[in-house]
Amino acid sequence: MNSKSSAALDISGLSAGYDRVDVLRGIDLTIAPGEMVTLIGANGAGKSTLLKAVVGLVPPAAGTVSLFGKDITRMSPERSVREGLALVPEGRMLFGPMTVEENLRLGAHTRDAEEFAAERDRAFELFPVLSERRTQSAATLSGGEQQMLAVARALMARPRMLLLDEPSLGLAPRIIAEIFAALETLRTGGLTILLVEQDARLALRHADRGYVMRTGSIALHGAAEELLANDDIRLIYLGAWRGEGE
Amino acid sequence: MVKRPDIRLIAIVAIALVAVFALPMLTSERYLLRVFTFVGVNVIIITGMALLFGYAGQVSLGHAAFYGIGAYASAFAVLTLGWPWVAGVALALVLTAVGGLLLALPSLRLKGHYLAMATLGFGEIMKVVFVEARPVTGGPDGLSGIPYPTLGPLEFDTAGTAYWLVWGVAAVALLLAYNVVRSRAGRAMRALHGSELGATACGIDITGVKVRVFVISAALAGLAGALYAHVVGFVSPSTFSLHVSVLLVAMAVLGGTGSLAGPVIATVILTLIPYSDAVIPGLSRTALETIQEWQEDIYGLTIIAVMLFVPGGIGSLIRRIFPERGDAG
Repeated sequence: MNSKSSAALDISGLSAGYDRVDVLRGIDLTIAPGEMVTLIGANGAGKSTLLKAVVGLVPPAAGTVSLFGKDITRMSPERSVREGLALVPEGRMLFGPMTVEENLRLGAHTRDAEEFAAERDRAFELFPVLSERRTQSAATLSGGEQQMLAVARALMARPRMLLLDEPSLGLAPRIIAEIFAALETLRTGGLTILLVEQDARLALRHADRGYVMRTGSIALHGAAEELLANDDIRLIYLGAWRGEGE
Repeated sequence: MVKRPDIRLIAIVAIALVAVFALPMLTSERYLLRVFTFVGVNVIIITGMALLFGYAGQVSLGHAAFYGIGAYASAFAVLTLGWPWVAGVALALVLTAVGGLLLALPSLRLKGHYLAMATLGFGEIMKVVFVEARPVTGGPDGLSGIPYPTLGPLEFDTAGTAYWLVWGVAAVALLLAYNVVRSRAGRAMRALHGSELGATACGIDITGVKVRVFVISAALAGLAGALYAHVVGFVSPSTFSLHVSVLLVAMAVLGGTGSLAGPVIATVILTLIPYSDAVIPGLSRTALETIQEWQEDIYGLTIIAVMLFVPGGIGSLIRRIFPERGDAG
């Protein structure tokens, strides 16, 4: 699909695990610059582990990961942030007692202090509610606002590639729509996005392409519409949502 | 974050500073000044502990060892090698900083309570070293006749001048720590207390931050030791035991997280308990002896009471009075 050098993210033959238990087995995944790609699959398929292996939180046992042509396979997480890779972790992992503004400042930890105000205002434009909450501590925000803050915090590092782990988890449909609208805006702005989601239908409706993970390997991949139309996918991953939404 | 400083806060800090530095002019009672000099020494150590525990969320059970290394290094340098006191202080700082680095690097790479365990072991090892390394430490008898601190022609040989020296150093240490916690580095420290994964996702080198804070806190304990040895004139191994390390942790816990003022207040209170007669005039000898006898129990009860009634420590109490300050202080 894309030659390796032009890919935003290129994962090739990646295996990883915890304490000799293999969770990922030979993952191949490529994302072109500006694409929004989703990774779907059941609980325990290894989606979060794949993200962790990409950012360097879980050391890969084999395979390579490259970001815009640069090998980042065994790079520490803080180095990969500097290389332009930002993660919105599952469960948001905000700094609860600190204010919205301070959380954003921490997101800009790797950037020059002078750039902060402009970046912050851009995040506020994307999520205006955060601007109203800027002096509030993150712990006092609603779940949706916290998720918005988690995305905004990741954006403060000015990433070229954004990884999101379950951004819709536990949120009301209206909030989810707002967050996904923001992701669309970011994609239009040129950001490359890899989205891990349990809500496969939601993810495929927004993404360009999708990868389906099953017990540690990629079972299937293709254009989002194809996957949405694929009978097996509908049966296995979309069934639970039938009758909801739409 | 740029916040307008609270006028009340500035007033309180200013009054506290004036009160602290005016004490030798208000009283000439040697005992009182000695006791408060000792409080100042502990404040220097606790400044590092507040950064380590209260901001970076790490527990050290071996800071008395760094305190001791600083004390013995400086005493040895001045007594045996004939170095000027400043060089002794420099030696104390270098040894404790390097020691802290060597201890922190391997133990902080791992997640969990490895630092607490490593420092506990380190403290016990150093206790043995202090007793056994007789040529340097004087063994169980310790070192005596350690000269007063000198800075060129200045000699801090009275209770009042020694007091000023110690509190001057404490004030500078606190000011530097205050600047650290308000800086990007301080924000990073508080962040990893909140969520290590979140901090990592922000590109913060969490191991690096922890190691740096540990080194700073070890060096501050070493600095306090170098002051203690020369102000008191005598050092022995019992001053640097596990008991002292635990007491330091108690001061930091009692003071509360994310605060500098809280731990300082806790340190003043806990340090004064065995010397109650210095601050409570007319305290009878039997009453003092009772307090000293029950010292450990009073510490324990104080900590339990604080944890029950003010779970966030003194720092959270201060935040309740000055809500707009939020973070540092």
